[in-house]
Parts: sequence; structure tokens; C-alpha cells
Amino acid sequence: MNDIITTACKFVTSSIGRKILVALTGACLLLFLVGHLAGNMTIFGGDVAAGDRSWIDFYATGLHSMPAWLLWSIRLGLLAVALVHIVLALVLKYENYNARTHYQKEGTLKATLSSRTMVLTGLMVFCFIVFHLWQLTFNGDPANCYQHILHAFQQPVCSIFYIIAILCLMMHVRHGLQSVLQTVGLSTRKVRPLYNIVSWAFAIVVCGAFISIPVCVMLGILK
Amino acid sequence: MANLNLTLKVWRQENAQAQGRIETYKAKNIPDEASFLEMLDIVNEELVHEGKEPIHFDHDCREGICGMCSLTINGVPHGGKKVTTCQLHMRQFKDGDTIWIEPFRAAAFPLLRDLVVDRTALDKIIAAGGFVDVRTGAAPNANNMPVRKKTADAAFDAAACIGCGACVASCKNSAAMLFTSAKAAHLNLLPQGQPEKNKRVLAMVRQMDALGFGNCTNLYECEAACPKGISVDNIAKLNRDYMIACAAEAVGVFA
Amino acid sequence: MKEIKFPVSDYMPDSCIPEGPIAEKWTKYKREAKLINPNNRRKYTVLIVGTGLAGGSAAATLAELGYNVKCFCYQDSPRRAHSIAAQGGVNAAHNYQNDGDSVYRLFYDTVKGGDFRAREANVYRLAEVSCNIINQCVAQGVPFGREYGGLLDNRSFGGSQLKRTFYSRGQTGQQLLLGCYQAMEKEIGKGHIEMYPRTEMMDLVVVDGHAKGIVVRDMVTGEIKSYAGDTVLLATGGYGRVFFLSTNAMGCNVGAACACWKKGAYFANPCFTQIHPTCIPVKGDYQSKLTLMSESLRNDGRIWVPKSREVAAKIRRGEMKPSDVAENDRDYYLERKYPSFGNLAPRDISSRAAKEACDDERGVANTGRGVFLDFKDAIDRMGKEWIDGQYGNLFEMYEEITDVDPHEQPMMIYPASHYTMGGLWVDYNLMSSIPGLHVLGEANFSDHGANRLGASALMQGLSDGYFVIPATLPTYLTTQKPGTITTAAPEFIEAEEAVKARIQKMMDVKGTKTPDEIHRELGKLVWEDVGMGRTKESLMDAIEKIPAIRDEFWNNVKVVGSTEGMNQELEKAWRVAAFLDFAEVLCYDALNREESCGAHFRLEHQLADGEAKRDDANFAYVACWEYKGTGELPVLHKEPLTFDTVHLAIRSYK
Repeated sequence: MNDIITTACKFVTSSIGRKILVALTGACLLLFLVGHLAGNMTIFGGDVAAGDRSWIDFYATGLHSMPAWLLWSIRLGLLAVALVHIVLALVLKYENYNARTHYQKEGTLKATLSSRTMVLTGLMVFCFIVFHLWQLTFNGDPANCYQHILHAFQQPVCSIFYIIAILCLMMHVRHGLQSVLQTVGLSTRKVRPLYNIVSWAFAIVVCGAFISIPVCVMLGILK
Repeated sequence: MANLNLTLKVWRQENAQAQGRIETYKAKNIPDEASFLEMLDIVNEELVHEGKEPIHFDHDCREGICGMCSLTINGVPHGGKKVTTCQLHMRQFKDGDTIWIEPFRAAAFPLLRDLVVDRTALDKIIAAGGFVDVRTGAAPNANNMPVRKKTADAAFDAAACIGCGACVASCKNSAAMLFTSAKAAHLNLLPQGQPEKNKRVLAMVRQMDALGFGNCTNLYECEAACPKGISVDNIAKLNRDYMIACAAEAVGVFA
Repeated sequence: MKEIKFPVSDYMPDSCIPEGPIAEKWTKYKREAKLINPNNRRKYTVLIVGTGLAGGSAAATLAELGYNVKCFCYQDSPRRAHSIAAQGGVNAAHNYQNDGDSVYRLFYDTVKGGDFRAREANVYRLAEVSCNIINQCVAQGVPFGREYGGLLDNRSFGGSQLKRTFYSRGQTGQQLLLGCYQAMEKEIGKGHIEMYPRTEMMDLVVVDGHAKGIVVRDMVTGEIKSYAGDTVLLATGGYGRVFFLSTNAMGCNVGAACACWKKGAYFANPCFTQIHPTCIPVKGDYQSKLTLMSESLRNDGRIWVPKSREVAAKIRRGEMKPSDVAENDRDYYLERKYPSFGNLAPRDISSRAAKEACDDERGVANTGRGVFLDFKDAIDRMGKEWIDGQYGNLFEMYEEITDVDPHEQPMMIYPASHYTMGGLWVDYNLMSSIPGLHVLGEANFSDHGANRLGASALMQGLSDGYFVIPATLPTYLTTQKPGTITTAAPEFIEAEEAVKARIQKMMDVKGTKTPDEIHRELGKLVWEDVGMGRTKESLMDAIEKIPAIRDEFWNNVKVVGSTEGMNQELEKAWRVAAFLDFAEVLCYDALNREESCGAHFRLEHQLADGEAKRDDANFAYVACWEYKGTGELPVLHKEPLTFDTVHLAIRSYK
């Protein structure tokens, strides 16, 4: 037992161990993103579905009607995953900053913009999530979800903030997805180009779908 | 053959404690067939004639194999042409260019003088586990252990690392993952390296962490800067091997 | 012309060759050799200077055995020693190719390749341990080239008619050195080796006639320090940079060996310097070094120059492309002169043939000092992919340096100083004429005679370090009480002061010429006069001019900076001073050796067909030179060479 604990401690304090944890929590968050998106897409079911309730209202009330312990376990689980992801990433970043001495003239050969701005885009997404939770999860009525979202996105400031945040998420996910595969050791020279395409495609599809909601609201397609 | 006139912005620093600064030099009439280091030789010869101290830089074999030459040229180690600085030729530059020359920078590479840094941290990673522990004289006949050609080739690709440290110097995080993973992969791929594989991986990674290198964030800048084309596949392999080694250590598969 | 009469001494230290038939000497030696108890080994401190194949493998092995090892190198890491640059391969008599190889044949080829100027017993031992070297390296994880079946592949190399060369693409030296280096780092990690990188040996400390320590300069702080030990192992490589331009690394120097010579170690056969035939030609005066293109290229490349001077001149002026020269207008001179070996003729022969062609004004390259190495036939025969698989990295390297694609146009090559067979004299135990000073690898003279065959240097370095010195060191150490000498001894203080004084003297000259300028001057002179073809005249010219250059150094050198801290100009100046002290003995030896053999070619001594004319009656000996003061004539000691196993014959490669 002792060995397991010692190794676990060494693992979570090592550079590779922490990277792997960031990668795995990132992968969880990616899965959550897909689930969340699937739910959100019900908004395109329109205002009225069965009777006088919209699809998304069904979905929202459905989520809320889960037993409280289950709902809160999922929520706390997600929070824990997100916290591990964020805290470890920040610690690694801090170490990386200290490991460097800076050039007078910086040059870059291959590192992409998205790969170099992971912490920035990540923090931006984090701020957005806090706002997003405050705005829609804790101050919303699940039974009246559709209208609530509509109202929110009819304010241009809110929509623009949302769109910018999702674009940051897109950059984050673009590098993040293929980075997960590299960190957990599933990448090789042959498949890396494929991973890059998949990451781009994933980021564009998922984030494009998210962005489609405020865009449709503002264009008046959803009303 | 043409001659070039260049402006050099060179990092000068008398010793580890001194305050460093960029100084500007003119490099006049540099033959474009000269190597980058020969260009610096010419500049230094002139400086000495003027009674000034020459620019100190590390170099030895000048044929791209010893790994001693360093220099970050315009922000990129070895100038980013897939060769070492000693094999970088002046025909890659244009007349009138301004060239920034700085040392390989990383906290784990303390500066000694001007462009000379101390890279013994890399040796320490090897000392921790980058070897096969065989005693001289005890080896069996070389052909007793066939090695698949593909495996031998892959091991060679990893073993081609010259230990120059460009991967660390180019990394935005000053991580030594490409270096460490290449050496680990070279030995982990071969059948000779199997008995110590887990032990090696753990020892090398832990030593690397202890030496104050940064953490890899998969920017692949190292691969692009590497003069020997070492692949980041090795990093993926090291991550994989490290997970397995940790699991093995935890459950006591090897003691 | 002035005649020089060298003082000759009758005294010669015993070469300690074991009795008995040649094939049993080493076995007998090992059987009867003294041993040191494992618990006592750690009481002995071994100082090793240099971390190439010889020094590195010795350090690793001796540390494994339990000795207390201190190791020094001038580079920033032991992995950088110039052994790393060897491209081609390492020989061994494994006979994996079933082409009739054996220990005897490797021995015979090496003795013959050395033009019968090497010690038979040493060479036989070298051939004997050659297989162990390969076994050891493979066990360490050296990735040698393999066949699809998983077994080791071999190639043939210059001067050999069978495939016995093991290789790792074009980077065999690198991979072998990394094997040594890793073994060393393993012992450093365990605390058995104390490693001192960026530390240059300045002098040898001799106490009561025994080598007991060294004086070094810390190249970072500038501090002069000494270290005491029970024995000193010198593995500092060759003196090829006496020519300034060579394939050696910029830092390679004769400083340590020269210091030992001055302290009484004999310098043996210094005139045996190998000129490598396949280097990239000189471009201009600013050039710092010459790049070797592996000799393995000669397996598939054909060497030629134009038959006519007019065509050659056109090519030199850039008016004609080499690929446009018609087949009939090409002179494949090696194939013509040496039909059976052709382009694979030994190095000295190939080099001299290139020089002859260029002397005949048929040379190419803008300086007229170059010949073609053409792959067109091989590409036509085997295809571009196959060629790239064999030589891809070399082709890339060539194109990087010259901006010419060797697939399209032939390579241009010219001989350059590469390896030095001469070195400090050692006996069978690898001990020099100073008791306690052992010399390994290229730094000693022992195994290559007058010419080294391709892929033999790596073999010798590793043989000395892995297998020979661990067995022979106890012979000396058992005569010594460990740890009796410390750096407090007056000899150490004296030596340190002498080094400091010499450095100060250099710094105080404050003249106008940089160390490099003086080195270049010396190099040009030695290359012209003591290069590929030597005459009494040229040698006398060099002997006359070298003291003048030395005087110029001590009266007009400009060493900027201070003695404290890192000072690369001072490092250069120190090394140039050593080359200046050493250069004369190279000429003296060449002058004394009134014959042609191997790499030493005296134009006065050649056969009617231009081949080397050996004089076995008068010169079948090792010429050992004892230092008697700079500017003074050294004393000649002769170790006679006897050939009981191999019959002296004219070395013919026709």
C-alpha cells in the first residue's frame, strides 16, 4: 500500500504525471463539452414542441428533476475535474516561467498561436464559465429556459462576450485535443497530421455549434 | 561567391555574475561560403586586433556532430535550418542583414561567459539512467541477440541526438523532454535496454524534474529546432513508458 | 645543404612483450598478470585525461573494477570528444560475413596496412580483442547497422578485401562514443568517477621519476590546480592540428602529450601522419577546418580528374560542368593504377595519387586542389533511393557545405590531415618511458605503424580502454603503495608555478599577431614541407623556419583578456605554443627516416613506379625521440621491430 501511495505522490508531483492529469481532466471536459452541446442543440427544436413547452425547456427541467444527490455529484465532479485541470495547468505554467530566461529577440519556428496561449485562452474560458453559470444556471428557471436564453442573447454585449469566449475555447480545444493524445502517448509522426485535422474539425464543429445559438438569436432566426 | 556586410547584435556578459547586454558589431566582407562560426572567427580576429576581447562561444568539431556549438540566432537555436550552427553557412543570409546572436537560454543552463552556457544538466540526466548497466567484458556474442532492423533503425534515429541542448533553448518552457525522451527511447526500444526500462524511465524523468527544466506543453518547437531531426514521437513514447513504469513501481512489478 | 647528425642513444626501455608464439602472448600475459584485490582497488587513484573512445572506455571500465577514477576533458561534456566525428566504422574479426576473416587476417592486414612499422605483438592483441569490442558495444545498446534477419551488417572499407567493418550509418564514432559516455555517466552517477569537464591538462607532475599527477587549468575560472594520483592515463588524441587545417576538432591539441614529452616521455614516430583522401577541398584563408567525407563513399564513388589540363582549367574557371566531361576524357586514376583495389586503395596511396594529379595541373576546385568523386555510375546501377539509404546523410552534409548536389554533379574532394599514427612511445602495458604514465588511443604510437587502415582507429581506442589497460594497469600499480603522493609535494608546487609563469609570459608579450594567425602560419609551412610528399630540402626548410615562427610567437603574440575567468584566446595561445615546441620533432623524424613507408613518403625514396620504397635493413625500428630542450636536437632511441610472424614484403595494392 505504501508503495502505491509513494508512487502516486511522485506521479502527481512529476512533470509528466501532472501533464497527464491535465490531459485526462481536459479530455473529461471535452466530453462534457460534447454532452453540453447536445443539450444546447435542443434549442433549435424551436419555441414550442409538445403542448406549450419548448424542447430545451424539457431538457432543462429533465436535468433538474434528477435526484439532488446525483445532480450535485455530477456538478461537484465536474468542478473537481475543472479545478484539477486549472490548478495543475497554472502550477506547470508557473514552473515553466521560472525555468526560462528570456531572449532579447524571440523567434518561433513551429509553435502555433493557440499552443502558446493555452493559459490565456483557458483563463478566458474560466471567467466565461463563472459568468455563464451565474447567468444561466443559478439565475434561470429551467421551466422557462428558452425565453431566458433568448433574452440573454438579445443583448449584443452578452452575445459578443459569449462568442469571444467560445472562440477562445476553440483555440484551446484545437491545441488541447491533439495535445491530450500526445501526452497520454498515443501520438506518432504518422498519425499526428491526422490528429491535427481531427482537432481542428472538432474545435470548429463544437464551437461553431455553440456560436450558432447567439448568432441565430441576433439574426432573429430563433425568436 | 559574394561577400556580405552584416550587423551583429551579440549578447556580451563577462561572467556568470555580471550584467549582460547586447552589443552591436559590424561584420565586414564575410564570404558567403564561410560557416557561421567562421564568420564569428573573422569578427573576433578583428576585435583582438583592436585590443578588445573576442566574443566567447562554444565550438569544437565544426562538422555538426559533437554538439558543442550553440548560439541562438535571431531567436532560434542554431538558426533553425535543421543544422548545427557550425554547419550553418553564410549563404543563408543576405547582405545588410542584422543578426541577433544570443546564448542558449534556460534557467538550467547557467551562463558562463558571453555565448557560453553550462549544459552539464544534460549529463546529469544521462548519469541518472541513460545507459545499459553492463560490465565490460561480460557481453555475449553480438549476434546472439537478433534485433529487428526496423527496431534498430528507430533506436538509431533516437540515438542520433548530439546533446546540444537546442531543444531546451528553443522550448518556450525550457523543457528537456526531447533530449530525455530521445535517450530513453534509444535504449528502451532495444532488447538490450529492456531489463532496466522502467527503472531508467523513472530515474531519468525524476532527475530531469529535479534539475529545474520546464514542463512540455507539446509546442513541438524542439523538433523544429533540432539539428538532427529527433522526433517528438519520442516524447509520446516517454509519456507512455513513464505511465507504465509508475504503474509497475506502484504494484511492485520490479523492486 | 646543412647536415643534421642526430644524437643516438643505445638505451631503450623494455617493450615488455611476453614470450611465446604470437597467438598466445596476450593469453599468457593475462594468465600471469598481477591482480589487485577488489577492496584494494579503490585505494588507487587513476587520473585520466581525455574522454574519447580510449579515455572514456578506460574510465568506465576502471571505475567498474573499483578504482578511484578522476577524469578530465577540455570540452563541456565527456560526450564531445572528437572520436564522435568518426564516420565509417569499426573493424572486428567476427567473420559474420563468412568471407574468410579471422584474427590472423585482421592482424595481417593491419601490419601490412601499417607498412611493417608496427609492433606485431600489439597488433595481434588488437585483432584478438576486436570481437569483444563489438560484443561489448552491442550489449551497451550501440545501434549498429543490421540486416533484415536481425543480425549485424558489415561493409568493406579502404585497404580491405573483405567485409569486417561494423557501422552505424555514417555516425559510427558517435554511437560508439555515446556507448562509452553512457557507461562513464553510469559510473559518475554511482560516484566512482569524478568528472572535470572544461579542464585542460597543462603539465605532468613527475615525482621521483614516476608520473604522479597533473596540473590543470580550470577553463571557467582560470584557476591553475593540480591533482595527484597513483597513475596518469593520457588519452588526449593526436596532433593533426599541427597542420592548422585538419579534420580534427578545433580544440584538439598536442599540449598534454608535448608536456609529457618534455618531462621525459619518448615521442615515437611523429612523422607518421595520415592524410585522409576524401575531405572537402579548402575554400579560402578564413577557413577553420576541413570536413571529412567518409571513406565509405569510395565503395561506390569513382575518383577521377580530367585527362587534359585544358579541360581541368575550364572546370576550375566554371566554364564547364564536370558532368559534361566525356567518359573518354576522364582519368579514373586509382582504377588505372591499382586495378585490384581501385577506388578502395589505402589512404596514403589514394592521397598521394590525388596530389600527383593536382601537381600535374589536372586538379579541379577553384584552387586547383581537388579531384572528383563521382556517384553517377552507382546511381545508374543501383538507383537514387539505394544511394540515399547508404550515404544520405553524407550527401546532405556535402550539399550543406558546398551548395552542390552530389546526385547531379560529382563531389570534389582533396586530402587533408586526419590522424596521427605517431605518438608517445608505450610498451606492451601501454606505459610510456615515464613509469606510471600510460598512454592510450591515438595519443600513443603503438598499433598502426606507418599508416592506419580505415575503421581501425575506433578499434584501437576501444581496445586500449576497455580491454588492454584494465588488464595491464595492475602491473604498474602493484609496484606502488597507493595514495603516497599528495599535491603538497614540492614537485606539484613547482609545476604549478612553471605553468603560471609560462601563461604570464604569453600574456606579457602584448604583440600584434593573434594566436590563430601564428598557428595558420605554422600550419601552412608544415603542410607544404612535411605534408604528403617530403624531401630533405623541404624538411630542412621547415626545420629552419619553425624556430623563427616560435620566436615570433614569444615576441609578437597578442593574447587579450586576463588569466582569470574564461579566456579562449589564452587557450588557443597555450595550444599553439605547444604545437610550436612540437613541430620540429615531426620534421626531425621525417628527416631521419630516409625511406618511404606508409603515410611517410620521401620523394627521394620511391620505386620506379612511384611506390614507397621501404628500407627494412636500416629503418625497421620505432624512432623514439627524447626531449632535450626547445631548440635543441632531441636524442634518438631505437626500438627494433622484428617480424617473426608476418614476412616483410612490399606493400602492393595493385
